Amino acid sequence: MLKIENLKAGVEQTKILNGINLTVNPGEVHAIMGPNGSGKSTLSSVIAGSEDYQIISGSVSFYGDDLLNLDPDERAHKGIFLSFQYPVEIPGISVSNFIKAAITEKRKKIGLKPISAKELLSQMREKMELLNIKTGYLSRNMNEGFSGGEKKRNEIFQMAMLEPKLAILDETDSGLDIDALKTVANGVNKLKNKENATIIITHYQRLLDYIIPDFVHVLHDGEIVKSGGKELAKELELKGYDWITKDAN
Amino acid sequence: MKKEELSEEELLDQVTSSEYKYGFTTNIETDKIPKGINEETIRLISSKKEEPKWMLDYRLNAFNIWQKMEEPDWANINYPKPNYQDIIYYAAPKQKQKLNSLDDLDPELKKTFDKLGISINEQKRLSGVAVDIVMDSVSVATSFKDKLAELGIIFCSISEAIKNHPHLVRKYLGTVVPVRDNFFSALNSAVFSDGSFCYIPKGVKCPMELSTYFRINEAGTGQFERTLLIADEKSYVSYLEGCTAPQRDENQLHAAIVELIALDNAEIKYSTVQNWYPGDKEGKGGVFNFVTKRGVCYKKSKISWTQVETGSAVTWKYPSCILKGDDSVGEFFSVAVTNNFQQADTGTKMIHLGKNSKSTIIAKGICAGKSNGSYRGLVQISKGAKNSRNFSQCDSLLMGDQCGSHTFPYIEVKNKSSKVEHEATTSKIGEDQLFYCNQRGIGTEEAIALIVNGYCKDVLSQLPMEFAVEAQKLLEISLEGSVG
Amino acid sequence: MGLLEGIKKYSKENPTITTQHKEAFSMFLELGFPTQNDEEWKYTSLKKIISKEYKIENKGEKIHENEIIESSLGLAEQIIFLNGELFKTPEISGVTVTKKTDKNPKYHDATTALNAAYAKNGYNIVVEKNTKIAEPLEILFLTKNSSNNFIQYNNSILLQENSSIKILENIKNLTQNLCFTNTVTEIKINHGGALELNKIQDHSDSQFLIDNTKVVQDNKSCSTINTILLGGTFTRNNLSFIQNGVHCESNMNGVTVLNNNEFGDHHTYIDHKNEQCESNELYKGVYAGKSNGVFNGKIMVRPGAQKINAFQANNNLLLSDDCSINSKPQLEIYADDVKCSHGCTIGQLDERALFYMRTRGISEKDARQILTFAFVAEALEKITVPSVYEKSKALVEAKLNITLSIEQ
Repeated sequence: MLKIENLKAGVEQTKILNGINLTVNPGEVHAIMGPNGSGKSTLSSVIAGSEDYQIISGSVSFYGDDLLNLDPDERAHKGIFLSFQYPVEIPGISVSNFIKAAITEKRKKIGLKPISAKELLSQMREKMELLNIKTGYLSRNMNEGFSGGEKKRNEIFQMAMLEPKLAILDETDSGLDIDALKTVANGVNKLKNKENATIIITHYQRLLDYIIPDFVHVLHDGEIVKSGGKELAKELELKGYDWITKDAN
Repeated sequence: MKKEELSEEELLDQVTSSEYKYGFTTNIETDKIPKGINEETIRLISSKKEEPKWMLDYRLNAFNIWQKMEEPDWANINYPKPNYQDIIYYAAPKQKQKLNSLDDLDPELKKTFDKLGISINEQKRLSGVAVDIVMDSVSVATSFKDKLAELGIIFCSISEAIKNHPHLVRKYLGTVVPVRDNFFSALNSAVFSDGSFCYIPKGVKCPMELSTYFRINEAGTGQFERTLLIADEKSYVSYLEGCTAPQRDENQLHAAIVELIALDNAEIKYSTVQNWYPGDKEGKGGVFNFVTKRGVCYKKSKISWTQVETGSAVTWKYPSCILKGDDSVGEFFSVAVTNNFQQADTGTKMIHLGKNSKSTIIAKGICAGKSNGSYRGLVQISKGAKNSRNFSQCDSLLMGDQCGSHTFPYIEVKNKSSKVEHEATTSKIGEDQLFYCNQRGIGTEEAIALIVNGYCKDVLSQLPMEFAVEAQKLLEISLEGSVG
Repeated sequence: MGLLEGIKKYSKENPTITTQHKEAFSMFLELGFPTQNDEEWKYTSLKKIISKEYKIENKGEKIHENEIIESSLGLAEQIIFLNGELFKTPEISGVTVTKKTDKNPKYHDATTALNAAYAKNGYNIVVEKNTKIAEPLEILFLTKNSSNNFIQYNNSILLQENSSIKILENIKNLTQNLCFTNTVTEIKINHGGALELNKIQDHSDSQFLIDNTKVVQDNKSCSTINTILLGGTFTRNNLSFIQNGVHCESNMNGVTVLNNNEFGDHHTYIDHKNEQCESNELYKGVYAGKSNGVFNGKIMVRPGAQKINAFQANNNLLLSDDCSINSKPQLEIYADDVKCSHGCTIGQLDERALFYMRTRGISEKDARQILTFAFVAEALEKITVPSVYEKSKALVEAKLNITLSIEQ
């Protein structure tokens, strides 16, 4: 589904990604771990299409199509979803109106009729039940006054409504207590299926106790220096990152 | 490697240009008088309207006063002063008789209003909004007059009211905006053409929204409406005012007066969605809009002004409330969009005279292109207005770096028991907000519309439903790229 | 004979010397003293002040040593003017203090033009490159006259690259005869410089003041001006900051406590001409008796001045039915990537806070005193020179004490 070949990217004069190679197939869960500054968030931003970073060389293809040539909203229509590490506030727009706008745009682009209010509401109720979210949440303004946990849950709720093919969860566990973490993980697990894939970007192995990865990659200085199965995550938990980064150097 | 993206300028350009939908004219015969203004003109206008002598005297007195006044110069606006002798002060569509039903409306006129998308037809009739239509200077038709008459509500053109309800008009006309109040009020008092008159009797809650549409059709004319709305004790009325004008090269003048009187325990809700022609992208043409709108609140009464402004080349208007009675309430909610070369100097005045009076001001400005938007407000708390309260919030959203936004709030407080709070912020649409929306599949244009809507929500939610939808569409049109 | 006539008479007896001075005086004559028709003087009337008779730049009476000591804060380094004459200058290494002699005075309105034409005295301070002065400098203007007197000062301060200094300024009229002072101070802060200027204005009823202070800043400079206004029948402070460089910081803070028939007008102006700068403004006012306050804060952000953070807050407490406040916080913004906000509040002490304190055994009188002081404290705390802060705090507390007891 996703094929990243020798991707190099940076911001202004600084090179951050130094040749990423990664392949993700449908039905898989990949975890990308690494110390701070290794380039984890840059990778997710680059896949989503943030203009903050410049592509130096390399390619990213999604179902065989070149992704780097597309705008962020076009990438979203193709089925890419990014759960932000720091979701931004948009005052005055309720969660329900925002989701309605997103779904309306998506349907427009693929030639479907706009969704009826009734159908939308029932879909939203269904997902809210799935994710254990109370009513009343829908009328709150986007991320305005949300706690850390609520913001992350809002991200997963959007993911549930938009049904992406590839979901990138950027440090979804940061700032969450155990209960919030479990709820978020629960949601992600329920949405997983054979056709979609998930990339989890995380610093700690904690989240991976709840969302079991098929592959774990370690990012260091903008390159994937080691890959393995879920045991690798446990090894990192015990030993830290030093033993890998030393080897890489 | 990335595809050629529109630079921010280009995107902004697309997003802020707009096509004025209403730039067409109606083919209809008009009865005009020669250009220019002098005592003869005034007499001619009065006689064409078949007015009683007291009305003619009122006009002549106003004309004398106007001649001695000087046009004001102080707003933060540059405009070429209109040549008052180069304007036609009376133009009426030649229609034989006054209508009570919209079915009898001249089909040309009806087509005009259909084209304008103004639902004065079946749709509106079913939803029950009474409409008074003013074409150029003359009120053309009013719907639902009979139904309203049953309740004792008078809703008709002011010309009619002068003839049929002179005692009411004489009692209240000019009491809220006296002739001497300002340059444009004096001019209006001398040459006002027509407008709406409304009287709600004691204890009556008007069952439907009352609405007037003004349209300037004839070239070279000035539009001078005069509206007088009286809500007697314990009554309620919601009134909608909408306006449009065709595209023309020369500027058109619009100097109106609106007087609202809310007697004890009455409530008036006055909403305006204004889309005058803003001048083309180079700033030529467009409507000069100078309006004096004022309401007087008696004991325990309330007046709310809600407006959405997206048009007019030059706007100068300050809807105000004089909170005369104790426990009275004044509100002002506004969204003002300026684009291209528009200039707007708007705001409100809340004059607190009565004890425990309250006022709320929420003004949102959106500036794009090379426009300038100014908010000028006055909150005046007099010595006797004990325990009064004011809350003001003025926010500006700037799109692009060629526009400017200014706030000049004047706060004058003369007693110690009142509370005044004023806040103003300036912001722009954040890149991170746009990227977030993009990532959710919402294109940048749609994202801007969405964010702007959220920004204006506090104001838009004050509008009656039909207007809210129209206002939202209007906002989108003023800010989105020309729909291709 | 009013002040205008007095000035005209004085100019005949003392004609201007250079062409620049002559032009300045012509401008003053053309404009005349501002009236309430002038937007910038809408709430501030000079009529009564200028209708009185004044001697112009009078020599004055002898001021004794003990009077000087009583009037000053007693800082180690001082500049002292007695009746306009430069009496004492400090000995600080890296700082040069001379009498100001201006060849090319700048002016932009009537009162600054009058000052440009005829101000005889003033200080000129230059702080050398890379000199960071540890000792605060006290500047004191004392006058003692047997009749009403009109006096002008034209001052300038230059902070060269990477230098810094903290200053206290105070004007005192030692008699009951009126002293009307018109001051213009031009300050230039070069790259990396930092200035803190504290104006303690505990004016008596016989001290009238129009003060024009303008600060021009270069890259990476910082200026803070704190104005503590605690009396006076007429005080008008015009404060402007022009940010000519990037990464500039300008701070303006004020504490005003007035009662009886006192009057204070703070007009501030910040011109953000370049990007990446910030300004912070905090003015707190407490008004009682028949006093009047005016606040007009204008923030200008020019086109291209992106990434500006400009904050302004003006908060006021009115304690009597006869006092009033006129506030006009203005924003003029021409750039879009900026964070600008201003807020203005006028109100009363929080009744709940008062009640809370009383339930803890504090008397109502004391509670009001404490809360009112707390209200102004935020602005007062911007003074970083300990001795100046202590003195200001004492003066504010004393003034509040009197003010609040009158209103009880």
